[in-house]
Amino acid sequence: MNIIETKKLTKYYGKSLGIENVDLTVKEGEIFGFIGPNGAGKSTTIRTLLGLIHPTSGSATIFGRDITKFGPEINEEIGYLPSEVFYYDGMKVIDLIKYSANFYKKDSRVISKRIKELAVYLDLDLKKKIDDLSYGNKKKVGIIQGLLHEPKLIILDEPTGGLDPLMQQRFFDLLRQENKKGVTILFSSHILSEVQKLCDRVAIIKNGKIIRVDKISSLAENTHKRFKLETAVRVDKSRFTGIRGISDLVITDNSVSFLFRGRINEITKIIASLNLTNMLVEEPDLEEIFMHYYV
Amino acid sequence: MNIFWQELRFNRRTTIIWMVAFAFGIFSYMSLYTAFSHDVSQSMKLLQGFPPVVRAVLGIRIESFFTVLGFFGYMLTYLWLIGSIQAMNLGTGILSKEISGKTADFLLSKPISRFKVLTSKLAAALVIIIATNIVFVTASYFSAEVFKTKDFDVTVFALTCLTMLFIQLFFLSLGFLISVLVPKIKSVLAYSLPIVFGFFIIGMLDSVIGAENARYLTPFKYFDVGYIALHSAYEWRFLLTEALVVIVCVVVTYIIFTRRDIQAPV
Repeated sequence: MNIIETKKLTKYYGKSLGIENVDLTVKEGEIFGFIGPNGAGKSTTIRTLLGLIHPTSGSATIFGRDITKFGPEINEEIGYLPSEVFYYDGMKVIDLIKYSANFYKKDSRVISKRIKELAVYLDLDLKKKIDDLSYGNKKKVGIIQGLLHEPKLIILDEPTGGLDPLMQQRFFDLLRQENKKGVTILFSSHILSEVQKLCDRVAIIKNGKIIRVDKISSLAENTHKRFKLETAVRVDKSRFTGIRGISDLVITDNSVSFLFRGRINEITKIIASLNLTNMLVEEPDLEEIFMHYYV
Repeated sequence: MNIFWQELRFNRRTTIIWMVAFAFGIFSYMSLYTAFSHDVSQSMKLLQGFPPVVRAVLGIRIESFFTVLGFFGYMLTYLWLIGSIQAMNLGTGILSKEISGKTADFLLSKPISRFKVLTSKLAAALVIIIATNIVFVTASYFSAEVFKTKDFDVTVFALTCLTMLFIQLFFLSLGFLISVLVPKIKSVLAYSLPIVFGFFIIGMLDSVIGAENARYLTPFKYFDVGYIALHSAYEWRFLLTEALVVIVCVVVTYIIFTRRDIQAPV
């Protein structure tokens, strides 16, 4: 079953483009990564799904229901954590969390128990005033208010800012635990290592358009190789012209470096004809693949 | 109901301050009545010395000034002014604070429709205004009873006091409308003060010009204390004008707010 399904979802802010023809399907029980640089349209997509902004055209369903018609019903089962959390001045953590909890139909005793567990797990003092909390601790308030009603879908929009590495680890563990219970997660980020750690599939978005959807594993494997050659003399650029699959070619006086995707035989023939002093072939990290999509 | 109670909690302190200020102000002012009415001829002479234009601007009617109702009615214009600021602040702030405080994301990603969010906030604002008016009427009645020299007409007095509620409703709904028309309100006072004072100044000019139709332009002219005293009633045409303004403001607020895009906080 598809938890999220968007069809040609498009959002313009006046004349400027937010997203265009976004087609996404997130399956039940999946951790779906959503990556792209700032301003690519990640937040626009998420905010449209949550009903905070209204689509210009196209449609989307969550849990099989249209987002524009069943917003409140859908939000009952969504936990949302934005990149920056803002709460009311002068409120105590516990008051904010109770206020948040009261919006949900779920049994209040179950929620109270859950709040306590999460607070202990994240090491957050519920009696403090929100104004007095550090950025990271405010984020914890955000996590608790997002998860206290045990949502079936968790939507995270660049959620890790402000959390120290240890807390980030705990947070990811928490998400994995939820995922094991069958919870679907949409995780937006511009930090690839996070996505790589957590997600099953990933969509790459650029200038408001989805440019690729793939499994994390297949995105990283057998696609590109990073070649680093050290040469005795400067290699002429023409040696590499006409070969398909070479990108990011950099030639200096005694080195050649490029990304390669294609038939390995073709490239080894050329390399064999060069006067090499050293050679390195690496799996590029996701960062490099990612940059490749952006250049 | 969640938002409703929370709004009452948020506004509790401010509302109490307004209530205390009203009660204290009314009582202090009315306590002057004894001294003022003690030597009517002397005071009357003083007032007659004012040029008619000044009296018109200040809303002083010599014929009624020395009854407890007239004395109260004189101050009422200024109480309206203060009450309008309270209502306008409340109306402008109760929605816009979610945008300026960047809490709109939190609130509107909850399982609740925009329609209900607005209705809850409207209901909370209404309760606050009504509660303020209860304190206002009680304080006024109590002060009038304490300082009166002769008995007064309770119906006229009640109608006179209730004008505050209508004036506040006008500015409350106007505030709501402003809060959805202006994309981001950083300071509520920057909108409420100029607008309220603007209407008030129009009212003062009206008094000088005396053009009957100009009275439609400002809520401060919808209720004429003299008319109420004479007829024990409001003027229907102004009551209808007010109702129309309130309904239009509220309906437009609903339409805009339910369709509005909530931009990401930056």
